[in-house]
Amino acid sequence: MIPRQWIIATVILLALATAMAIYVWQLQRKEAATPVPAAAEPHVSPPAPGPTEAVTVWVANDSSGTLRAQTISVPVSARRQQRAEELMRGLLGIYTTENSPHPLPAGAEVRNVYLVDPGIAVIDLNSAFVVGQTSGVLAEELTVASLIETLSSNIPGITRVKILVDGKERETLSGHADLSGFYDVSQVSELAKQLTSE
Amino acid sequence: MRWNNGARLLAQLLLGTALLAVAARVSLFSQTPIQPPANLPASPQVQPAPPRYLVMIDPAHGGSDAGAALNPAMPEKDVTLVFARRLRLELNNRAIAAGLVRDGDITVSLDQRAGMVNSAQPALYISLHAASEGSGIVLYTAMLASNGEDRGRFLDWQTAQSGALVRSRWAQQQITASLEKTGFPLRSLIAALRPLNNVTVPAIAVEVAPTSGEVSQLGSVDYQSMVCAALANAIVPIAPALRQGTVP
Repeated sequence: MIPRQWIIATVILLALATAMAIYVWQLQRKEAATPVPAAAEPHVSPPAPGPTEAVTVWVANDSSGTLRAQTISVPVSARRQQRAEELMRGLLGIYTTENSPHPLPAGAEVRNVYLVDPGIAVIDLNSAFVVGQTSGVLAEELTVASLIETLSSNIPGITRVKILVDGKERETLSGHADLSGFYDVSQVSELAKQLTSE
Repeated sequence: MRWNNGARLLAQLLLGTALLAVAARVSLFSQTPIQPPANLPASPQVQPAPPRYLVMIDPAHGGSDAGAALNPAMPEKDVTLVFARRLRLELNNRAIAAGLVRDGDITVSLDQRAGMVNSAQPALYISLHAASEGSGIVLYTAMLASNGEDRGRFLDWQTAQSGALVRSRWAQQQITASLEKTGFPLRSLIAALRPLNNVTVPAIAVEVAPTSGEVSQLGSVDYQSMVCAALANAIVPIAPALRQGTVP
């Protein structure tokens, strides 16, 4: 004969275990149903009003398959990170305009640029940027070279660059350009020379 | 006796609770299939490469990886396979043994491709791509420093090409020089394009684009024959050096 208190304890423990399993299952469903806030808001803050400076950005041209220097005006920034963000905003401003030489959709953005000493820069793109990127070895190389050469030629000290998409590592930009590792700035400069000399 | 029964029952309860907890954990992770490590050996459907081809041709993409949508009816994976088969034919017609990394619409990961090539040890590896942008042929070698770190017998997977990079660039230059004589639109670049950097033999990538501006040209048998014959003709003069291993 099983004592009554043991039966009660058994029922309570089973009820607790069942309740915990249901709770965990519901948490899982809730997490799966929560939409990922992908490209909801521009992450790089809007340009600050004030004095501007002329900078050289490296602009890709799909029809000629080349990289060309172009001078644009960006707000003067005292901080390196802010300057990096202004540079990326200025470059994407060219790519997202009508009749762009290297078109990207209107939602394409650089979410953040992180400058990590010593010499590492991290460029975080949004998913709209990647979806709108033309797939192909040359087309993707032009994008990578344009971003990295613009950043490294205007901000001294950057030696390696990592590109993320929505804050996460990605194997390729759009099926070709390798994003799994760091880009060596000196190698990208060599590529940029090849792309400008054509 | 009564205490023994109680202890047994308590043990059974604890065991039951543990089983329920395990069941809940299994349910929690059931929607996230466990992925095999990326560097597992090739799947059974991938044909192991026959030994010792002079040239190993790799039609990029395939299977679940369609590559670029050159147009709605023309995924890159199909175009690269057609070009690869034709290039193999053109090379065979010139007495150059050539093999394919894939000879059908199957999924082969980048690591698997590199693994197959490194096992087969061909004298030259050619990764084939196709694009709607650009014009003609672009030849690529890996974006790496040619004087990579010496680690003795152990190679860093991400820079395994370093030791063969001088020979890869030699092959790129020779093929470029030969193709330039044909007047075909041509460029030579470096690229961060896997699996070039994971391959231990001389390796180049070739991206073929239409010269007419019309993507449909990539589907033209005449255009495919012209491109592949030009590439095969460019490989013929360097075949003896590749065959004898006397590449600089």
